[in-house]
Amino acid sequence: MRDVDIIGIGMFPFGVHKTTPLVEMGVRAAIDAIKDAGVKPSQVNIGFFANMQAANLTKEFTTGQTVMWGAGINKIPVFNIENACTSGASATTLAMMSIASGQYDIALVVGAEKLNVPFIPLLNPSLRDINVLEGNVVINGFAQRAVRHMHEYGTTKEQLAMVDVKNRKHALLNPMAKFFNKPVTIEEVLNAPMMADPLTKLMCCPNSDGAAALVLCAAEISRRFTSKPIHLKASVLVSGIFDEVPDMQTFEEDQRASRIAYETAGLGPEDVSAVECHDAFTICEIMHTENLGFCPIGEGGPFVESGATSLGGKIPVNVSGGLLGKGHPLGATAVSQIVEGVIQLRGEAGARQVEGAKVFLAECMGAELRGDAKTCTVNILTV
Amino acid sequence: MAADLKPMLDGIFEVGPPPRLLGAECPICKQKFFPKPIVCPHCLEDVKEIKLNTEGTVYSYSILRIPNKLYQFPQPYASGYVDLDNDNIRVYCLFDPEKAEEIRIGQRVTLRVGQIGIGLDGKECLRYYFTPVDGGEK
Repeated sequence: MRDVDIIGIGMFPFGVHKTTPLVEMGVRAAIDAIKDAGVKPSQVNIGFFANMQAANLTKEFTTGQTVMWGAGINKIPVFNIENACTSGASATTLAMMSIASGQYDIALVVGAEKLNVPFIPLLNPSLRDINVLEGNVVINGFAQRAVRHMHEYGTTKEQLAMVDVKNRKHALLNPMAKFFNKPVTIEEVLNAPMMADPLTKLMCCPNSDGAAALVLCAAEISRRFTSKPIHLKASVLVSGIFDEVPDMQTFEEDQRASRIAYETAGLGPEDVSAVECHDAFTICEIMHTENLGFCPIGEGGPFVESGATSLGGKIPVNVSGGLLGKGHPLGATAVSQIVEGVIQLRGEAGARQVEGAKVFLAECMGAELRGDAKTCTVNILTV
Repeated sequence: MAADLKPMLDGIFEVGPPPRLLGAECPICKQKFFPKPIVCPHCLEDVKEIKLNTEGTVYSYSILRIPNKLYQFPQPYASGYVDLDNDNIRVYCLFDPEKAEEIRIGQRVTLRVGQIGIGLDGKECLRYYFTPVDGGEK
């Protein structure tokens, strides 16, 4: 198998873009990425387009080919990928495999999502799912995790609020995070309307629109295009267990996906300089810091409170602003996490630069079946 | 409860009285399931329908305070997981809509069936839910 590098990144800012069509956001991110990579559209050998809700919300399908042609790319194989919140990371895994196998040299990954349409329904994975029929919606699963985590480990609602305060502060330093543009206090987070106890509205990521793109290249030729290729050392996708008796206070999928990724990369959590994770709800980030190995299980609450996960701390988490700070354009989210990793490892993050960043980890998680995550991804990047 | 109301899905529970959740057991590996799978996912053998225990302990819960119009659930409503006695099954369930604020981890609960919300056909239907064994505070 061949090594794979990332040589180009692009983003359409995450925010509310009511008048910008899905395709245009994707095209603009794609063009930025191929220009950043210094490749011509005709040099791209294979394309992957990640999106989750276009068929539901804007009644579009096989959007990938439309987006690719908008960026001047035709004829090549194009795949449309839906894997809930991890769609973009799943597309990246496929792109890496297509290059590592030796079959293709240059791959384009684009993730795009438009959620700000006139009516946004509560998301559910299937109308016939027994848990959905019994009242489960996405936020319920995470509120139940929070209730269980607080019961088991003594995590506090103030610690849940601190995650949002931190990520909103980080987002202020990211010009691609256009949703809020202002900081928030612990009191404001705690006093926001209650959605599902203990999660207030500000402990939940907002629905934003946006797009992100990556150009992946066989490492043996990446220096033809850039002097600063970023190495994609591991790109892992796992599914949940789905058997009886789900555990709500840990993310087994995180543990399993990160163990595979660490082993593949020959690295461990102690080597990681910066992390982006799926902070769709503040409890998620607390649990991810535990289950990815950055602090012991159960200590994620005190860990955020200590400042360890803030910019300048021991292991900065969601320096881009995360989903809480940028919003969560589902298909674009996991691509944008890897874009942030490339920016950090290139040393181009400006005011939010993690000093001396050498190893970056992106984690994402999507959808639920029988109390387990349907999909979980871990990508590890190095300089 | 109105006699013409149907369960929100066939084959999930018996209305009773007494109400019972319908699970399954694999004749080979003896694992129990809820709801009944097409085959045992471990052995790929046909499973046998069984009636599950009607009492259990709350594992976790949430109270949704925003509207869930998908099936016109009450607002607010509590739902979560109950560990059924002796079955090694953690079942997702609604909790008694009248006692949403009373649910706690570790609480002993018992099965009920009643009209809650609407079904796939848009008509009022029956759902299973758990209520505190001791009748709760109300």
